[in-house]
Amino acid sequence: MVSGRSLEAATALLTGAFGAAVVVSSLDNGIGWSAAGVDAGTFPFIAGLVVLGGSAFNLVQGWLHARDVVLRSSELKRLGVLFIPTVVYVGVIPLIGMYLASAGYVFGALAWHKRGSYIFSAVAAISATLALYLIFERTFQISLPRGVLGDIIGF
Amino acid sequence: MENLEALLHGFSIALSGNHIFLMVIGVLLGILVGVLPGLGAPNGVSLLLPLTFGMQPVSAIILLSSMYWGALFGGSVTSILFNIPGEPSSVATTFDGYPMARDGRPTTAFGSAAFGALAGVVLITLSASWVAKAALAFGPPEYFAVYFLAFASFVGMGGSPPIKTLVALAIGFALAAVGIDTVSGSVRLTMGVDELVKGVSFVVAVMGLFGIGELLVAVEDEFHVKAISSKVEWREVFRTLTHLPQYGWVLLRSAAIGCWMGITPGGPTAASFMSYGIAKRLSSRHANFGKGEPEGIVAPETADHAAGTSALLPMLSLGIPGSATAAVMMGGLMIWGLNPGPMLFVEQKDFVWGLIASMYLGNVIAVILVLLTVPVFAALMRIPFFIIAPLIVIICTVGAYSVSNSYLDVVLMMGFGVLGYLFKKAHYPLAPLVLAIVIGDKAEDAFRQSMLMSRGSLAIFFSSALVTTLVLLGVALLVLPVMWQTLGKMINRSPRRP
Repeated sequence: MVSGRSLEAATALLTGAFGAAVVVSSLDNGIGWSAAGVDAGTFPFIAGLVVLGGSAFNLVQGWLHARDVVLRSSELKRLGVLFIPTVVYVGVIPLIGMYLASAGYVFGALAWHKRGSYIFSAVAAISATLALYLIFERTFQISLPRGVLGDIIGF
Repeated sequence: MENLEALLHGFSIALSGNHIFLMVIGVLLGILVGVLPGLGAPNGVSLLLPLTFGMQPVSAIILLSSMYWGALFGGSVTSILFNIPGEPSSVATTFDGYPMARDGRPTTAFGSAAFGALAGVVLITLSASWVAKAALAFGPPEYFAVYFLAFASFVGMGGSPPIKTLVALAIGFALAAVGIDTVSGSVRLTMGVDELVKGVSFVVAVMGLFGIGELLVAVEDEFHVKAISSKVEWREVFRTLTHLPQYGWVLLRSAAIGCWMGITPGGPTAASFMSYGIAKRLSSRHANFGKGEPEGIVAPETADHAAGTSALLPMLSLGIPGSATAAVMMGGLMIWGLNPGPMLFVEQKDFVWGLIASMYLGNVIAVILVLLTVPVFAALMRIPFFIIAPLIVIICTVGAYSVSNSYLDVVLMMGFGVLGYLFKKAHYPLAPLVLAIVIGDKAEDAFRQSMLMSRGSLAIFFSSALVTTLVLLGVALLVLPVMWQTLGKMINRSPRRP
């Protein structure tokens, strides 16, 4: 279960951290007015300060006025079932390449939902990968990453 | 009158079997690149360009421009069906197109988009010349004023808490600043990651925020689309067409905005946002916006297409491309042995008027093809969620990668997906964030160039009638709604008091 309070807090902390990083990073470019006009860091600096201040406000506001529960555990489970494999999919692309990762991802996702229908899942996985190859590699000549594995087998 | 004759002559050139065939091919290919996020009209035009070297210049430009119209339409298709804008300029179409399609009315949504777009093209050919004259008077202060107007017309109109809107907007500004600063040439906000020098791509951000973010929200409640008939409901299409005249004022206004933003490098994306924002402000049904209001589809689509079309005009008449696609086409023009510029209209009448006539025909063909393919797209919506979800993830991933062949973009896209999910759950508005990523950088550049011109004096924004009007209009758009709201609250409150 996730409460509205922790959701608001997590979002505000995330935006706040981003704001702080922007403020610190923009100081390197110089802020204010110089011979070259408005310095490059000025606008990011102001934007960062606004994000930082606004996040602090949202954090307090979220803490005071948060709603009870925004995510029940059944919803959280469904979210995890989609999100975790997706992260794994993106994570393995540098290793096994986009084609193999995509095929594996589609096969896994379909086979998990429709337990037993492995042939259907395999056909879907192969056709999705083939479509990727034909559209991107062949038609638009965009070479998708093959990963470390591709280098090894020389594809 | 002379123009009308020339246009009729243009139609006689464009209306040959060969050219119609080229239009159909171009539009179909355009729809394909438009539907796939990451691929866009510039990809399609670059792909086709080598094929055109042996053609007549008229045939070549008809093929390329038809592809461009197809891409503009294709971008709206995925916006309406899956809330994933296929093209940056169709983000604003998701706001009302997606709720309407989810409600089981994709035909109405496509119809509104298609006819709004067609009206945009017709209106632009009528109004182009005087807008082009106004656009030539533009310098950095005017550009900044236009961007300011775009922000003012859009920001603060949603029901989101104002501080959350402000945070979303400022994050967008900061993201737009990442990479090389065009004014000073220094590298900003890369946090030590060299690959970020090229900046954060808008397409990557949009695919994450809308595509992945929406998917994560949708998976929570067992996502079920209402039963959608996969037949084209022609009656529904015609009903949408007959309802179009009631949006007359919206169409005119949106076409004018699009035309103006297309000629000045504001571009179709800013145009569609601005048009949607103003339509929502001024509409009597503004409470329906965001829930599937046809006016909310017509306004951004009309502006998008008007801007896309008018981006070609400065390329032809002045030799200044108004968009990336126009830049590639201009390269083509030179290869075919034509010199873009004012003399083109005098020396190459067949070419220019053939192209303008093909704008009409190409768009009519695009509307017909889009409507004919609605059954296919509607059938896509009936595919169960557990099948379509992994496919959307893959399309977004490959799309993000193909923007600039970079794995970092894929990781960024996932990050934007999580951010989009959190923002949706915690009621942060996404639109100001997206708008700031698109035009934040350009607005900043225009402001700093103005400051250089005036040596730091803000008086430059009130130095001429044009820029003063624009700035005051922007301020009015920002301040008036707040004043009306406060006034409304005061009036509502007073009678209740005992």
